[in-house]
Amino acid sequence: MHIKDDHYTRLLQGLAYTVIILGSLACLIPFLLIISASLTSNDSIIRDGYHLIPAEFSLEGYKTVFTFPDEVLRAYGVTLFTTLTGTTLGLFFMTMAGYVLARKDFKYRNTFSFYIYFTTLFGGGLVPWYIMMTKYLHLTDSYGALILPGLMTPFLIILMKNFIRSAVPEELFESAKIDGAGDFKIYWRIVLQLSMPGIATVGLFLALTYWNDWFSSSLFINDTHKYQLQFHLYNVINSASFIANMGAGTGVSLGADLPTESTKMAMAIVVTGPILFLYPFIQRYFVKGLTIGAVKG
Amino acid sequence: MSKNARKKPLAVLTALLAVSLLTAGCGGSNGNNKEAAGNTDSGTNNTAAATEGTATATAEPGIDTSKKVELQFYMLGDAPKDLPAIEAEVNKMAAEELNTTVKFNYTSWTDWDQKYKLLLSSGQAIDLIFTADWTQYASYAKRGAFLALDDLLPKAAPELQKFVPESMWEDVKVDGKIYTVPATYKEYVTNGFVWREDLRKKYNLPQPTDLASYEAYMDGIRQNEPDMMPASLNSDIGNNLHYIYTELNKMVGALPYGMGVKYESPTEVYSYWGSDEQKEELKVMKRWQEKGFIPKNVLNIKDTMQDPVTSGKAASMFGDNPTRFNDMVMKISTTHPEWELGYYPFGKTTGYATPVHPVHNGFAIPKSSKNPERALAFYEKLVLDKRYNQLTEYGIEGKNYTVEDGYYKLLGTSQTNGFTREGMNGWAWRNPEYMLFDKGFDGVKAIFDELDKIQKPDLFLGFAEDYSSYQAEKAALEQVEKQYLFPLEAGLVEDIDKGLETFMQKAKQAGLEKIQAEWTKQWNAYTAEKGIK
Repeated sequence: MHIKDDHYTRLLQGLAYTVIILGSLACLIPFLLIISASLTSNDSIIRDGYHLIPAEFSLEGYKTVFTFPDEVLRAYGVTLFTTLTGTTLGLFFMTMAGYVLARKDFKYRNTFSFYIYFTTLFGGGLVPWYIMMTKYLHLTDSYGALILPGLMTPFLIILMKNFIRSAVPEELFESAKIDGAGDFKIYWRIVLQLSMPGIATVGLFLALTYWNDWFSSSLFINDTHKYQLQFHLYNVINSASFIANMGAGTGVSLGADLPTESTKMAMAIVVTGPILFLYPFIQRYFVKGLTIGAVKG
Repeated sequence: MSKNARKKPLAVLTALLAVSLLTAGCGGSNGNNKEAAGNTDSGTNNTAAATEGTATATAEPGIDTSKKVELQFYMLGDAPKDLPAIEAEVNKMAAEELNTTVKFNYTSWTDWDQKYKLLLSSGQAIDLIFTADWTQYASYAKRGAFLALDDLLPKAAPELQKFVPESMWEDVKVDGKIYTVPATYKEYVTNGFVWREDLRKKYNLPQPTDLASYEAYMDGIRQNEPDMMPASLNSDIGNNLHYIYTELNKMVGALPYGMGVKYESPTEVYSYWGSDEQKEELKVMKRWQEKGFIPKNVLNIKDTMQDPVTSGKAASMFGDNPTRFNDMVMKISTTHPEWELGYYPFGKTTGYATPVHPVHNGFAIPKSSKNPERALAFYEKLVLDKRYNQLTEYGIEGKNYTVEDGYYKLLGTSQTNGFTREGMNGWAWRNPEYMLFDKGFDGVKAIFDELDKIQKPDLFLGFAEDYSSYQAEKAALEQVEKQYLFPLEAGLVEDIDKGLETFMQKAKQAGLEKIQAEWTKQWNAYTAEKGIK
């Protein structure tokens, strides 16, 4: 009996390891391919296609990306700035909202929850949003256009609320109150301290959204100095494909050189790099924050 | 109490629903109202300004420039790096002469079509915006996005009105009104064979002049240079095989939905899809596929069309326009000076070539503009005033470019210079009298001169399709095309007859007949209106 059990366990373990290894390879190989392609000379990519190990080593791609270091660096700066401010402000607002909504003694709790929840089901759509941002809030070409839209994400507020509700026992509020703590002190000294995993999770989500955002730049920013990194690089590639595809019928001819395959790959690396380093620091909170937060209360 | 509490959210819900429905349903009319409001606004502004203006002398006859304004100028594509310097220079002059400054805005090429739509539909104040056939000029004009210029032109830009030939004003009219200022520079974007002349000479191959000789050339390449692709192709089969083939077959433009119209008989509309003519095309492509001219994985190739040729991977292109051919020649001349490229315009095969239609490049004033008069007056300067024109086309002389023996010369390289030739994408305000060309462009001019001898007008680009009545069918048909037609057009289907039959059947299910009937009706109305026979 015991041996049989062990046998099965081992079988299961073996199976699990194989699946996980295959799975992670499937995730890793494309990434390795990009890294290798970014280090291959462009001619070699066109001639022989992609290889896991560069057929002809070359730093051409990175050279092109950083030909105008000021442009890339400025875009980096914009993205860093929006990510930092957006995440900090967003976390503050969302934990506040979550805390308030988690308090059972808040009278309009349901109304507000519903109001927030409602926007996840019905949105105005792109055109009204665009009109709102440009005509009424006058956010064209301002950092506000990049930061404001992401500050309050309904999904993350609900996640936060549920997390706080399960992490902070109801009774704690009462005892804190008896000890003379005000609402804000409870939020600051108790709720925030106890919801670290939730905050880390929501924070990572937020940081990722801000880091990966290109759509806001695309819609609201005309000033190239305020392009986010993702959009700056995306735009370089897009211009190339525009010239390649539309140019034939329009006679559009631009003097600038088109980015080559290796350049595109180098860009991908440049963009993904930094946010990759964020994962290991937050990862340990991640599973906990997500699972507890996901239990609907 | 508990009853009340339960009712409250419900009330909120219904209220919210009602509001959201209202805003969703009336989005269109709302926008119009706002536009209308904006117009009356600017109207009162103008009259107010006019009464003020009577006291001070106006600089420009016809329009009132007493109030300082900033024009919002919208262009497609990416701004050149030196734009701020150019903008400052332009504004120095414009402030003095028109009491106005201009803000140049660029959409970037990323999702430009969506942004273009938003710019025009959101009603934000824009004074000048680029138009072209490929930005759906006529259909936006039909929907009332632009201001009619007929009455404005003689008042605000009389010189410009004289400068643009009467026939061009006629050509850009939509429903009898002018909505855009067309560019007067004549160019050809018609296709032509592109091939490696050095290889042709080396193996003594025939020069591509028509379909048969082109095929023979590719045959020769296949035999002598087995490692090379005979032709550069990518997944955009429709544009890079099919439409080039039909251009060679004297078809009118790139017509959608398998519509067929011959250049010589523009009023005879037929269904190209399913015709013997199409079967002939598919047979040719099948043969090319079998001979190895079209790669098996062609639908997955995402390279640009030019790259494989300039890098020596491919030996020809089925078709490209003269300007871009010239770009390739220039590129090769620095990287592989020992190579040679040949070009044979289709015009010489078909017997005619069409210069671009006047709607191909232009500028319109959106309905939302607060200063339409000033905008037009400024645009007149941009086209007709040499200082404005050359500054915005070529940058600052001595810093961005120099003129040597009458030729334009870029200073430094395209990487180091912040303003390359036509760096502001100012194709629309090109003025042939002030244009500067770099030396390499002589090749294109030679081709243009040849085509000038056989030119015939392109009468058909003014056609604006209104697909509102078959939008759903259109989307469904696009899917069917991708799935069933592209493989056929790439010669990837074994049995052509059966493949075509399946495609036609699926297309009909998607609503092909309805689309074709409606399109034919619109086409006939257009040719009748323009008197095309």
